[in-house]
Amino acid sequence: MAGTAGMVGMGTGLAARPRTAPQTALDIFEDALATLAARHREEVLTAVRHIPAREAQFRPMPAWLTPEIRAAYAAKGIGQIYSHQASAIEMARSGRDFVVVTPTASGKTLCYNLPVLNAILENTNMRALYLFPTKALAQDQLAELHDLAGRLDDRFGVFTYDGDTPGDARKAIRERGHIILSNPDMLHSGILPHHTKWMRLFENLRYIVLDELHTYRGVFGSHLANVLRRLARICRFYGSAPQFICCSATIANPGELAEQLIGRQTEVIEENGAPAGEKLFVFYNPPMVNRNLGIRRSYLNETARVAKELLARKMQTIVFANSRLHTEVLLTYLQRANPAQPGAPEPVRGYRGGYLPGERREIERGLREGRVRGVVTTNALEMGIDIGSLDACVMGGYAGSIASTWQRAGRAGRRSGTSCTVLVASSAPLDQFIVQHPDYFFGRTPERACVEPDNLEILVNHLKCAAFELPITEDERFGGVDLPALCERLTTAGFLHPSGGNWHWAEESYPADTVSLRSVTSDNFVIIDIAGDTEGDTAGEGDGKPDVIGEVDFSSALTTVHPKAIYLHQGRQYHVERLDFDERKAYVKPVNADYFTDAIKYTQVRALEIAQEERIAGPAARAHGDVLVRSQVVGFKKIKFFTNENAGHGKLELPENEMHTTAFWITLERELLARLPFDLSDRQGGIFGLLHALESMAALLLMCDRRDLGSAVGERAPCNGKETDWQDAPAGMPDSANAKEFFEPNLYLYDAYPGGIGFSEPLYRAYDLLLRQTRDLIAACPCEKGCPSCVGPRGEKAERSKEAALEILERLRG
Amino acid sequence: MSTAAQDPFARLAALKPARRRTVPDADAARGFAPEIPDGAGRLAEILGAAPRRNRFGEHLGLRRWFAESIGCEAPLAPLDSGALRLLAPNAPEEIADPGQWLFLDTETTGLAGGSGTYAFLVGIAWWDAGGLEVEQFFMREHSEEHSLLVALAERMAERRVLVTFNGKTFDWPLLETRYRMTRAIRPPAPRAHLDFLHPARSLWRTRLGSARLPELERHVLGWNRGTDVMSELIPQVYYDFLRGGPPEPVAQVFQHNQMDLRGLAGIAGRVLAVLADTEAHAQDALEIFGVSRICERRGERCRARKLYEGLIASQAASAEAALPAETSLAARRSLALLAKRDGDFVVARELWEAMRGCSREGFEASEHLAIYYEHRAREPRRATAIVREALAELRRAERRGSLAPGASKAWRLRFEHRLARLERRLPS
Repeated sequence: MAGTAGMVGMGTGLAARPRTAPQTALDIFEDALATLAARHREEVLTAVRHIPAREAQFRPMPAWLTPEIRAAYAAKGIGQIYSHQASAIEMARSGRDFVVVTPTASGKTLCYNLPVLNAILENTNMRALYLFPTKALAQDQLAELHDLAGRLDDRFGVFTYDGDTPGDARKAIRERGHIILSNPDMLHSGILPHHTKWMRLFENLRYIVLDELHTYRGVFGSHLANVLRRLARICRFYGSAPQFICCSATIANPGELAEQLIGRQTEVIEENGAPAGEKLFVFYNPPMVNRNLGIRRSYLNETARVAKELLARKMQTIVFANSRLHTEVLLTYLQRANPAQPGAPEPVRGYRGGYLPGERREIERGLREGRVRGVVTTNALEMGIDIGSLDACVMGGYAGSIASTWQRAGRAGRRSGTSCTVLVASSAPLDQFIVQHPDYFFGRTPERACVEPDNLEILVNHLKCAAFELPITEDERFGGVDLPALCERLTTAGFLHPSGGNWHWAEESYPADTVSLRSVTSDNFVIIDIAGDTEGDTAGEGDGKPDVIGEVDFSSALTTVHPKAIYLHQGRQYHVERLDFDERKAYVKPVNADYFTDAIKYTQVRALEIAQEERIAGPAARAHGDVLVRSQVVGFKKIKFFTNENAGHGKLELPENEMHTTAFWITLERELLARLPFDLSDRQGGIFGLLHALESMAALLLMCDRRDLGSAVGERAPCNGKETDWQDAPAGMPDSANAKEFFEPNLYLYDAYPGGIGFSEPLYRAYDLLLRQTRDLIAACPCEKGCPSCVGPRGEKAERSKEAALEILERLRG
Repeated sequence: MSTAAQDPFARLAALKPARRRTVPDADAARGFAPEIPDGAGRLAEILGAAPRRNRFGEHLGLRRWFAESIGCEAPLAPLDSGALRLLAPNAPEEIADPGQWLFLDTETTGLAGGSGTYAFLVGIAWWDAGGLEVEQFFMREHSEEHSLLVALAERMAERRVLVTFNGKTFDWPLLETRYRMTRAIRPPAPRAHLDFLHPARSLWRTRLGSARLPELERHVLGWNRGTDVMSELIPQVYYDFLRGGPPEPVAQVFQHNQMDLRGLAGIAGRVLAVLADTEAHAQDALEIFGVSRICERRGERCRARKLYEGLIASQAASAEAALPAETSLAARRSLALLAKRDGDFVVARELWEAMRGCSREGFEASEHLAIYYEHRAREPRRATAIVREALAELRRAERRGSLAPGASKAWRLRFEHRLARLERRLPS
């Protein structure tokens, strides 16, 4: 089975190694690793794990399936099914909502396609709605379902319905589609507000399939939970009560996530009966080039080197990069090393968003058929999209979550045979943490997908959409809010009108248009290029007409488009001439500057209401609850490209911004600080350093972007309830850490979205894990006195902040 | 504690008022108590309307007969079958009975569509006693919608041919949505639906530059509405009324709706007359051109050809009957193609010869001629000469810049390709 090596004759393009030919794929991989890490092997290869092959656990097809569906699957060569598929099918029949947790390539689609198709064959009126997080994934499923439809005499209609669906086809889809493949955005803005046109679907809706459930987290997941509340109302209206079938990658809390999203109790199927080939999983940390400064070789060059070695050994390889730019850079390196033979197609191809559909299909086919030997891609090939099984996978940089990393790794060796995955770490804190703590990665995953379906900002926007779809009745429920009170407020604001015991939509607009599922509010700043008359480079109309070049959301507007900021857009620089705060407009002109700007933001966090609090070792306390975050951009620094030297600064007078959100925090009591064997500035440095590291680890546990979290140090409110002074907790301003001694500081990690998106309570719960991992991060970092990978850049006056941070952690852990 | 802590709703962007200006003391803390807006009584007085009750509740109803018809008299039964065939080729026989015709127009709370858009005022009208009878159904607030819809359904069952202006795209789908939203009232099922927007566009848009109903009334029927409420303001007028605003603007919306219905009836009569007997009723050459276009689209080639021929002949005869240059070209182009399909190459060739020149139709004519001479007349030399002349014309046009570069390039490629092929076949 491992004999894929050298199977495909590719001519001399990828020269075989002149050494004695290794016999098995495993030997070949070992040989490649020996070449790659000839020196400092222990240091460079921080983990080499053999994951043994796993036998399939088969079950017979259930006897109650219709003969037609058995015949259709038998014709595809599927006469028996894996154990988890059998469990899923039985669960689907039982009518209970459930989530199947499966790794890549374990036959997940059968878990929903088979019960859904069987139900359609039993009753042709039945309808199903499949939701995928992206259009591409829906398209991918369409092919599989069309194949099955063909085997079942086309007795059912399967259609995708998304923004690309032509207008004249929509009516037919609404009438004839038994299975509609769509995405949450389309359901939100295209289907639910027009539910009367979808009467056939909603009256007969029996199954809703939510695939890639783990991607519905944070803001997107919180929106989806509300879209599903709206969907449930519509289904009730038409008298249907659909059952949910969900599929998720491996995360710590699949059942909890599913329950929060669909608002009902959900069963979890976690067994896995699919076979898997032997796998070699390698963590590759680029070698140090300067030990004193902790500088490593460029991870991009190293990624290319790893891929080259594998391609040279005729291993069909997929290379993941974390940005489009890096995809192109890696592709250039690898194509140069593996040129096409005259008259033959390129053996190494790129694949990412922005490529034409036809080109993508051709590459996918080339990969399946083995003609394409290597592909460099972004996360575009992480999920779905059938490209067959590859021999090796190389990741240039950590994918950001364990779940994504396994999904990417699953692209190599999908069923059988030995495959190899190499993760090449960048110098980012998360990458370094992962490669230096393999057990975190290979153990039971601690990653949680969190949502906050009752985030008021999000909920109210969906409540408006809900009222547009159907009048809201007095006895209705919508999430965990006081619905009548909220409807009264929407009435006062001019959106609803009470009548006949219902609240009716009473506004001219179409509310779904103003709600994007990817952001909390639609309160965006528009960026306008006013240099229409500067010649040449503002392509298009040279008529002096202002050009809207983009939008930024409210929360990042003040730090990115403040006056005199350099705003970067598609690789171009713009100078912000003017910011019209009330009109939400930023006026910019293109420039060529040798610097970028970094806003200086002061943030203060104050606890408003404590939801839960507990004393812990230290002495200290942990808590979570509602907070008020006040921030103000007071100035900016100009920083030179490449050298990063400070090239000046400016002051700004901008309005203060207040945000009501949720936070998790740790209070360090006076006694703890007093006993620390450090001077004032080191103690301060230690506190800020600890918070920096906590934030990195929290982002890791929550599978979120660092931008989704904010951090600040504030004073614990004295017991007498007196207001405390402002405490400056500057972001990226090490020199102001010397301000003053904190009496009893609170270390806040807050949700960076108005209303919170569900991070705080899980952090409170995962407190032990968070502290342990933060300690591991700092302790394992090879730097001497702190670096951006652990406690952040060290302050000038706080020489021992790394030490101090570790000491505080030890005390907190008791 | 700050206000944000006491009132979790205080800072929500999603609760920012919908409009800057709202009616004073809007719905503040009104709850569900007084449902029918304060202005409803006065509105009924102003209009002479009365509440109507049925098993679903109440709504406001109004009936009014207009003796003066706009544009043309109510037509006699049965309606001209030739005209109806052009309007609705597959419609059942009922459409010939003017007694079955029901004009319909809605006033809505928005233009976006979707299940949150209401038709708060529905007007219907029918020809009666030499004039036009108009009936309007109005919901004084949301809960009266069911009563309105059931009353409308009863009326629509009496007259089964629905007649609208843009109703196929807008009014009727919206009403179907409203009926479905009730889950109780079966939507009416008209036997036929005639939407006069498209025929009106064919007949008059070239002349008027627009096919909006008030424009058509003024320029085609010679009727001026006078004071009228702007359509864009109608949703807000209704919402203001709901929230306690004055009834007078809503009364204006009633009048607007009546005028829409009267205008629609006038336009419908006019379209019928022009289609039935073009020679007698067409006011100008552009209308005749419009009818030919409709005939062509419906596959009535004979009639289309006859009309085009008449148009082109009268063009030559009098300057007054002249079509604008572009329309004239379009007419000749269509006629040539119709003649070609009939195998009448003498006529087609003559038209193409005359059309050659620097325009889209001109180059197209050259191409048709080249094809004709090459394949049908078997005169490849003549074909070659025509292609060469066309290429010379293109070069001149390029020098003058009188042709879009993209179009010019496309034509050149086609002619060069044809020329190369012709030259290969010709003995040199």
